[in-house]
Amino acid sequence: MAAPMRRAWLGLLRAALPAARPYHAPPPRRKPGGVYRPDPSDPLTPLWQLQPAYEAKLYGRHGSASGVDPARLWPSPEKLQELEAEEREWFPGLREMEAALDAKEQQEERQRVEREKLIAANMAKMPQMIEDWRREKAARKEKEREDKARRERLLAEAQERFGHKVDYRSAKFQELVQEMEKKQRKELKLKKKQLKEEAKKKTAADPEPVPVSAGGPEPA
Amino acid sequence: MAAASRGGGPKAMELLRALPRVSLVNLRPNPGAKKSEKRRGRGRHGGKKSGRGHKGQRQRGNRPRLGFEGGQTPFYLIIPKYGYNEGHSYRRQYHPLSLQKLQYLIDLGRVDPTQPIDLTQLTNGRGVTIQPLKRDYGVQLVETGADIFSAKVNIEVQMASELAIAAIEKNGGVVTTGFYDPRSLEILCKPIPFFLRGQPIPKRMLPPEDLVRYYTDARNRGYLADPSKIPEARLELAKKYGYVLPDISKDELFQMLSTRKDPRQIFFGLAPGWVVNMSEKKILKPTDERLLRYYSS
Repeated sequence: MAAPMRRAWLGLLRAALPAARPYHAPPPRRKPGGVYRPDPSDPLTPLWQLQPAYEAKLYGRHGSASGVDPARLWPSPEKLQELEAEEREWFPGLREMEAALDAKEQQEERQRVEREKLIAANMAKMPQMIEDWRREKAARKEKEREDKARRERLLAEAQERFGHKVDYRSAKFQELVQEMEKKQRKELKLKKKQLKEEAKKKTAADPEPVPVSAGGPEPA
Repeated sequence: MAAASRGGGPKAMELLRALPRVSLVNLRPNPGAKKSEKRRGRGRHGGKKSGRGHKGQRQRGNRPRLGFEGGQTPFYLIIPKYGYNEGHSYRRQYHPLSLQKLQYLIDLGRVDPTQPIDLTQLTNGRGVTIQPLKRDYGVQLVETGADIFSAKVNIEVQMASELAIAAIEKNGGVVTTGFYDPRSLEILCKPIPFFLRGQPIPKRMLPPEDLVRYYTDARNRGYLADPSKIPEARLELAKKYGYVLPDISKDELFQMLSTRKDPRQIFFGLAPGWVVNMSEKKILKPTDERLLRYYSS
């Protein structure tokens, strides 16, 4: 009776203690017999069994019974130099990486600030630009309206002259327009001439007023 | 005898011993848990098409893959795509490890909280499965179960969410996030096959440039962060989440809780460059100056 009770007590104890249930990976399967050593003189030995990695593996499995010199587990000086060169080339140190990151972040920050400045400057120009655009638009509209009015006037005149409607693209109409323009120019010239002549006449009719001298009043 | 006084005692024990043990031979699925497979074309339904229609891929069930348009360039390749999935096959994967799962593992005794926990313990307790060849880079601690988590642990993970860190530190635990390159990760997750290879433990590589900021940040409890800044970050987090930070320096497990790996170290207690021999239970350490310099840098 004592044995089951003791087992029960032990079970209770074990349940009360929060100890980890020991877990162990299963031991590696071992082949029967001694240590297998590849025979380098045998042509049937696979090449991969003649390389240092396999030696290390033998040592790992059998320890010193494998007959492998433990010093050969580490890289040879030449291999070590290669490893170091590789590390220098491909794996930058922490400080270098941090410096590169800092530089990159600063560059990004600078670019961001520049872009924001540019945007602010352009936005400051914006009201003036909109104002200019509105003015231009109004001027354009005005000009269009004038053109339209002029063409209509010309068309009306042409209709009066020819007695029928004329297309403004027709050669007839173009001729008429040129003619009229010539006439207008002539008239303008004539008008100018007349004005000039009139001005001349005026100067000839009433003589220029004599400049006032510093002495007393001029006798009439 | 406490057990006898409660009424059960030896008789019940005897009865229990006489009863058959629960084993695979006397276990069966719960009634209703199994559904028998539908057998097509039997009985009066035989000889016809068994509900699969007339001929073709539809009847034979050898339809082409999803999105395939019979050899014509499929839609998903014609339409220009946005780079949401760009390089998805190269991205680093971190398996989620929730606090609930961690608590479960601890409660079942599959992970020992009296020792520092890292990926070796987690994979050995079958808590996570890491496949470095499938671009797994470790585990991330996620906050599911933060409200029920009650263990005091010293855990090392690869990434951790802020709330998960807070939940662990509230219980007086310690979190460290550390990076393992795929080679070190393989060794960390499967130490025995590695030791059987008879090679010296390599040194852990530094994180790639895009992870340097994460692991040098004390707020992430990064392993490359300035150790003097970590207590500040712990206090700050305690203030943020509104709990009193237990003083671990007065803890009886202080020794265990303050154990941290060197940034170049893969296993707790084993330095890079050592050879562990399982069959002789021996550790071989190099003595050559150059080797020591290489492994310690």
